[in-house]
Amino acid sequence: MSTDAVALIGFITLFALMLLRVPVGMAMGLIGVSGYAYLVGGGPALKLVGQTSMRTVTDYTFGVIPMFLLMGAFVSTSGVSRELFRAANTFVGHLRGGLGFATVAACGGFAAISGSSVATAATFSTVAYPEMRRFGYPQSFATGVIAAGGTLGAMLPPSTVLAVYGIITQQDIGKLFMAGILPGILAMSMYIATIVIIGLVKPDFLPSGPRASWDERLKGIRDVWAPLVLFLFVIGGLYGGLFTPTEAGGMGAGGAFVLGVLRGRLSRADIRHSLLQATRTAAAVFTVLIGALLFGYFLTVTQTPQKLTAFLTGLGLGRYGVLALIMVMYIVLGCLMDAMAMIILTVPIIFPVITELGFDPIWFGVIIVMTVELGLIHPPVGMNVFVIKSVVKDVSFATIFKGVLPFVVTDIIRLIILIAFPIIALWLPSQM
Amino acid sequence: MTGIPASLKPPPKSRKFRDRFIDSIELIAAFFVGIVAADIFISVLLRYFFSVQIPDAYDFGRLLLGILIFWGIAATSYRGTHITVDLVWSSASPRYKRLIDIFATLVLLFVVTVQTYTLFDKVKQTYADNVLTFDLNLPTWPFFAVAWIGDVSAVLLIAVRTWLLIVEPQVIEGEHPLRTVE
Repeated sequence: MSTDAVALIGFITLFALMLLRVPVGMAMGLIGVSGYAYLVGGGPALKLVGQTSMRTVTDYTFGVIPMFLLMGAFVSTSGVSRELFRAANTFVGHLRGGLGFATVAACGGFAAISGSSVATAATFSTVAYPEMRRFGYPQSFATGVIAAGGTLGAMLPPSTVLAVYGIITQQDIGKLFMAGILPGILAMSMYIATIVIIGLVKPDFLPSGPRASWDERLKGIRDVWAPLVLFLFVIGGLYGGLFTPTEAGGMGAGGAFVLGVLRGRLSRADIRHSLLQATRTAAAVFTVLIGALLFGYFLTVTQTPQKLTAFLTGLGLGRYGVLALIMVMYIVLGCLMDAMAMIILTVPIIFPVITELGFDPIWFGVIIVMTVELGLIHPPVGMNVFVIKSVVKDVSFATIFKGVLPFVVTDIIRLIILIAFPIIALWLPSQM
Repeated sequence: MTGIPASLKPPPKSRKFRDRFIDSIELIAAFFVGIVAADIFISVLLRYFFSVQIPDAYDFGRLLLGILIFWGIAATSYRGTHITVDLVWSSASPRYKRLIDIFATLVLLFVVTVQTYTLFDKVKQTYADNVLTFDLNLPTWPFFAVAWIGDVSAVLLIAVRTWLLIVEPQVIEGEHPLRTVE
């Protein structure tokens, strides 16, 4: 059988296994090793399993993932989400749509610590939604703004998805984190602009809350200064070259623990819960990483990335045409699987095409994460929408998707802006 | 009929033991996450404030990372919290959901068993090569062995999960209705 036929059968079987709910990492590992065994030999293939598994889990660089997960777990458990929302609300809650602004700002702040879109959406469904409803905000808007705000988690550092992209493509994780900052801030600004426009088009749609006194505002700042300083310290240290990404994660986790304990926000049960949460997520991510690396050997022997590159560049669409094609593929895939699975499955195949076309790998990381994040809120799957629905029981999927729609349009415009002006993503990493 | 609802009945002894066993495995992994974080945090502080380095901080960090991940995989495999594509599963009837789960868990059991078998070779090889840590010249094979035991636990727990899915599916169903990893 030709290598092309083996590759084709491999991909079909892989998708079949994944659709039958075999864990993504295990399916990739199984197909990768079976295909490699068929083409190269059973002995070398089995050797790869032990070596690759052990090498992956004992790679110090990959420690960045559990460390930032632990930092996020400590900070989340110590109740910072509510305080961020309350603090933001004291400054903007009196404006038309002010609670929407506060939600976006607090989601950004929380995302900068947790690194997870879904965690951000889940958290603010319990924190911001009841408050918005209390002030008479429509269900569609309240859930839509939370779903959109949640997507900031994958863009603002420390983003787990960007870290995994960095590992797979062997790009500097520190630079990737920096590259996410300005696009993340752009996202927040554009979400706020969207809320302003909604407020102008439908003046009765978005009410305003009471104006907070300066005492209340100062109290709000006092509550959130510690996690914000921790974030600046960790990201500043990374930017200034004081820490490697793994060390930055360790400092963040250690710092979050010390702050949580000193401020009386972390009980023994909270510490245990945070450690368990970080462990579970890290184990799941590493399983997929091991599978992706094993699958990578199969891709190498079948030369699938090279053949795909030759095919796509031979279409005569030009580099931006090919990029558009790839992004459409990601948006379609976003209807089927979650962001992490998509990145791990497709990036090893797509990445050589991108470098061949002369696009910057760091910039592409930001673009691809933005595109898969769009998948978190667009129908019919939209993981953030499902998460919100699981927390907010009295709202229909149709209502949430209706509320998300203006933000989907905003995201598409933002994607176009970032493609037209790569400097927005690349300026900060270029200063490192 | 006036029986106690099944959900309110105390769990049988075998289940209590199983739950405690799985909790212990998760706690071992969680403990190592804490140790790795402490290792990095303290070594960075010592480096910047006292110009001192913990000997083998780097090697300890990466070797303990290996242990925590394999022990974590054991718990994750039992709890069914791996990253999966649930598109077909979520729209299937309860009977087909169970069949899909049994199939997926059997594949998982096969893959992790092969991994455990090949990892044992890696542990033996590390022992034979007498690979040492950089500063203290400690043998690394015991760390690999502890990590391997985590993978052995994963095989046992996945076998238990498969058995439960076949004979006692109500124990597994609904444990983690919504989970995501990213």
